[in-house]
Amino acid sequence: MAAFPRLLLCGLLLLVTGSLPQAGQSLTPVPGAIPAPDFVLPDTEGRLHRLSDYRGKTVIINFWTTWCPPCREEIPSMNRAWQQLRQEDVVMLAINMGEDEETIFVFTADYPAEFPLLLDRDGAVIARWPVKGLPTTYIVAPDGSIAYRAIGGRAWDDVDILDTLRALQKQR
Amino acid sequence: MPVAATGNPQVMMHLINTHKLFLLLPVFLPGMLFAAEVVRSADAETGLHKWHLVEGNLEVELVQRLPDQTRGFFMARGLPAAIADEIAVSCIFQTIVRNTGSRADGGTVGVDLAQWRVIHEAGEQGVRLKEPWLASWPETAVSEASRLAFQWALFPTRQEFLADDYNWGMTAFGLPPGAVFDLDLVWQEDGKAQTVRIGAIECAPDVERLQ
Repeated sequence: MAAFPRLLLCGLLLLVTGSLPQAGQSLTPVPGAIPAPDFVLPDTEGRLHRLSDYRGKTVIINFWTTWCPPCREEIPSMNRAWQQLRQEDVVMLAINMGEDEETIFVFTADYPAEFPLLLDRDGAVIARWPVKGLPTTYIVAPDGSIAYRAIGGRAWDDVDILDTLRALQKQR
Repeated sequence: MPVAATGNPQVMMHLINTHKLFLLLPVFLPGMLFAAEVVRSADAETGLHKWHLVEGNLEVELVQRLPDQTRGFFMARGLPAAIADEIAVSCIFQTIVRNTGSRADGGTVGVDLAQWRVIHEAGEQGVRLKEPWLASWPETAVSEASRLAFQWALFPTRQEFLADDYNWGMTAFGLPPGAVFDLDLVWQEDGKAQTVRIGAIECAPDVERLQ
């Protein structure tokens, strides 16, 4: 019977929160200064983005699709983070896996994103990164190495995450 | 015995749907029975059930997917109807895994679907993994884009989670709609193998049987 109050609390929590995933607030450090695999991809407006061109800046690289629930969930917080970081030499690139411009265009009517949305139509770029599930995000340090990763969604405008990104940018 | 199995199913469904009754289901370790936090609940609108488990740093949720839901998802991404149907009737669950540990703990949770066992009235089997499924389709029958959608929609066969990490994906238990099974769920916590048995999981029925 002692387990019942705990169970009831768990049930009430589920009712309040709706479902399991809650965006975490931490980024996992990636040791070893592994060089980030370079790529060249177009965004939805036809501009080409080469990762190595952003050397000297902190780059947030987010892998996502429109049909992935936690990907959708974190996009508003990514947009808010981007509005705070764009003037601070932090770059945000969201790489869509396998979908076309039209699908993304329709999607952004409901989920506005001011940062570049890149198209990896054939999955060639994601295959070169150690991604197992979506969303996965890597933070590339100004020296081009992978500094942090996040598997699953995050609240990207959380103060701790913003501080981590700013601190990385100041290390350049 | 699972609470859900002790009463009239229609009465239980009514209680679940009207009162959000949360059920304590038995979870087994080898040679030992204890009450872990497995909570079964049902969505009041769809009637679909989900099983939620917290054990150690592992949090798992299995959410029924209707065959039509899955069929529509894959056909919209270009999979041939016959293949989409085969997937749809393979007892698909949306599977969510999370490491609930703290950054200070530094603990890892590792999941390998190949180690999970599905126990049902006809015997025991493994989870249907995406790799052999992908390899079974003739190259000309399924486009690259459809393969990518399938590959990324299914839960990774092997994945390691650190604190705050989680992932979503479909898992195929390889049973017909409406089948009931127990799941021996295996995971690695800080390198040590752990097992729990979740009893009486139900594959989503066909739509017409929900009425």
